[in-house]
Amino acid sequence: MLTRPQFDIACRALVGKYAYTAPSPATTPLKGWSWHEHASINGLGYLSRRTIHTRFSCFGTDDEELYREEYEEQQDESTATAVPDATLVCQQYIVYSATYQVPAFYFTMHDCNGSPLALADIVNTSLFRPSAFDSAELTTFALNIPDRMFPLLSQGDHPTLGTPSWYLHPCESAGAVDELMRELGEAEWTTEEGLVRWIEMWIMVVSTVVELCE
Amino acid sequence: MPLALVQFTPFPSLSHPSFWHKLTQLKLDVLKLSDAQVDITGSYGVGRLIRDREAGAWISVNANLAVEEESFTDTKIPTRSVAARGTLKNYNTIEEFKAADKTMLFNECADKIWESIVTNKDTSLLNSFLIITYADLKKYKYYYWFAFPAFVASPSWHITERGWVPAIQAGFSEAQMSSIYEQLLGNQPLQAFFVVLTPSDASTEVTVSAIDAYVPGATVGFIDPSAQLQNPGWPLRNLLAYLRYSYPDSMSSLDVLSWRDTEIPREGWKSRVGSLVVGDGSLSKAAVVPNARPNAVGWEKNVQGKLGPRVADLAPMMDPTRLANQAVDLNLKLMRWRIVPSLDLDKIAATRCLLLGAGTLGCYVARCLMGWGVRTITLVDSARVSFSNPVRQPLFQFSDCLNGGRPKAECAAERLREVWPGLNASGYTLSIPMPGHPIPVSPSLCEQVQQDVEKLEKLIEEHDVVYLLMDSRESRWLPTVIARSKDKLVMNAALGFDTFLVMRHGARHTLDDNSRLGCYYCNDIVAPADSLTDRTLDQMCTVTRPGLASIAASTAVELMVSVLQHPRSIHASASSSSSSNYADIIDVEKTSVLGLVPHQLRGYLAQFRNLHIVGAAYDKCTGCSEIVINAYETEGFSMLLNAFNDSKYLERLTGLDNLFAEGEKALRDVEWIEEEEDNDF
Repeated sequence: MLTRPQFDIACRALVGKYAYTAPSPATTPLKGWSWHEHASINGLGYLSRRTIHTRFSCFGTDDEELYREEYEEQQDESTATAVPDATLVCQQYIVYSATYQVPAFYFTMHDCNGSPLALADIVNTSLFRPSAFDSAELTTFALNIPDRMFPLLSQGDHPTLGTPSWYLHPCESAGAVDELMRELGEAEWTTEEGLVRWIEMWIMVVSTVVELCE
Repeated sequence: MPLALVQFTPFPSLSHPSFWHKLTQLKLDVLKLSDAQVDITGSYGVGRLIRDREAGAWISVNANLAVEEESFTDTKIPTRSVAARGTLKNYNTIEEFKAADKTMLFNECADKIWESIVTNKDTSLLNSFLIITYADLKKYKYYYWFAFPAFVASPSWHITERGWVPAIQAGFSEAQMSSIYEQLLGNQPLQAFFVVLTPSDASTEVTVSAIDAYVPGATVGFIDPSAQLQNPGWPLRNLLAYLRYSYPDSMSSLDVLSWRDTEIPREGWKSRVGSLVVGDGSLSKAAVVPNARPNAVGWEKNVQGKLGPRVADLAPMMDPTRLANQAVDLNLKLMRWRIVPSLDLDKIAATRCLLLGAGTLGCYVARCLMGWGVRTITLVDSARVSFSNPVRQPLFQFSDCLNGGRPKAECAAERLREVWPGLNASGYTLSIPMPGHPIPVSPSLCEQVQQDVEKLEKLIEEHDVVYLLMDSRESRWLPTVIARSKDKLVMNAALGFDTFLVMRHGARHTLDDNSRLGCYYCNDIVAPADSLTDRTLDQMCTVTRPGLASIAASTAVELMVSVLQHPRSIHASASSSSSSNYADIIDVEKTSVLGLVPHQLRGYLAQFRNLHIVGAAYDKCTGCSEIVINAYETEGFSMLLNAFNDSKYLERLTGLDNLFAEGEKALRDVEWIEEEEDNDF
């Protein structure tokens, strides 16, 4: 469990700590985050970052009708053949869940048009570890794991921005983090160091499902 | 020495959703109908190699030229990126967008770049771009097309046999690379183009300078969005055009550093070097210097690999109707997740409901069905909204009563769609002919009645459940007969002053030897007749306690849902009394996942009590007996006409008249029903 002020301290410290570290599989999940406050209300800050992913299967969304008229441009041998752009952008957020008093992982995903991806497409991207959803049941708005009370992944509004997002249900993460922290034992940390360790552990727990290394 | 043609990786564009949100806002608040050009700023970084975790291979990911919300407002460029200036032109209609003079727009943009080279000796516009858009704000679709004008070199640039090699192999030391890295990354946003100078003494130091510090023999560098090993990125083309124009005498060969490191690398620098030469060696140098603007290319190709516009569909994120649909489902799914995991919500959502009567009961039933996520609700009523209605009928308001009142069914359907635009709601003004209410002898009236009957038959055919929510007893007869003939589920609700009846009619065909459940008329020993004429005002109006209608309506809907969730659905046998029979509750045969599926519920508000009643089907019933249904199916409208016009017809048909003649005895047996009868309408 984490209080709101603790969350704020932990997040800001995390941003500072990893601003200049070299990227490696161990650090990339922790790098690239920046802290944002709500435009007018204090105490609703969150972390955000943007990562690039690729899609495993190709699916076009463009309007067929527009292609009937083809535009001609001068033939140019110096132009390399374009490879299909499989770029997907994931906007990731770490927000504070007032209900569960833990951080929660929210995200949106769109292709290079800016069109949001449907859940069925999202689970087929490099955002998720390939085995993460082996036993999951998929609907258009949620991903359920049988025998679990809450869906693993579902749709909800971003708590600060109010925009439609996807989120991983936070209720089980706190227990896992606390257990990991107990394993680490009571080191000689300052309060801030301890909080950063906590959020680092939390990110590690999330990264067992989400590919946070890009 | 064979020379290879240099082929440049086209710029892929990337529009973040926030770019479209901002364009929407700009269009609504500022641009309105103007199609003036707007200055924007895009950004790009370096191409990257990503290790595929599964296969272990490297995947090259070209950097996109990205536009987002900030592109419109300020020049806040993401870190480790280059700024690129752009022009946006938004069209007001799709036709204008399609008909736009693309060649002219493109040439304007290319002219500006060329002018900056010739007159300003400036490199800041070399990577400028153009975007044309059309925003379909009703459908949340954005049509757009990017162009990145690049000058076509003539003769073209070629590369020496060595090709593009890692900078370390081309003579740069680790220390020099780190130095370049620090100098480049020290300036944010990054400089798109630069020169790497090595002091003339044998020192190993390198200096990164702006491009105008170029001296013959120096290496020119650029931030390279391409990740392809042998293809440099698009921005290099205009840099080469600039250099060839500005330094015509020293451009026979040139070393280029394609910079691809914006993070200190763990596995070696990714930046590459190539030695470029003009032409493939077969041409003399005399042909080189261009003074006029070279031709330019650079419209972006779409997903199909053709030159054409692209579409961003943001409806799943922005369309309030779709968001509402998702939210409605989410609400219901939560109930399933938490309380009743085996609830089949899809079956409920797919159930098409026909509501006969759009009054107090109809309004409440419709709202409750909506709560269950039912997608198709059709209302039928013959009346208009009157001044007494809105306070008790929650889909209407005062303004609906004005000017004679709006037709109730259509008005209610419209209100339902206002509550939830995803609902397929419709309303029909239709009067339902009734037995004992003779059709006046007039061919045109008779034709009208026949049309109404046909319409009702069609509506019942097109729905799965028929709700009888009218305010008279006899108006329920015709839909009872039709729905029984088509074997539809009929839900029936009727109100007294402080009592109500909610029931489901039994199925026509039983699956086994379970006794058939009765209909609304099965307990009657007289045929439905005119109950409306010659009544006082208080008898004609539905005078009931105001809370009763919503209780009865909700009960009817919940009963339907329980029936639908029962494995045998419409054939579910009924649980009997609620008083003490707990055996029923654990009898799987008689329960759905939601619990009991009673046949009839009689509610007594004065006692706050509900009674479960099971009534068997009656073989002389005027509403559901096979005699009646067969007569309807063989004779059709003429049989119905007999029933409407001749108040004794149904009793003769079913043999009720003989029964009636048996006299007092029969009446005593069913005395309790008569007491109840008045309360039902």
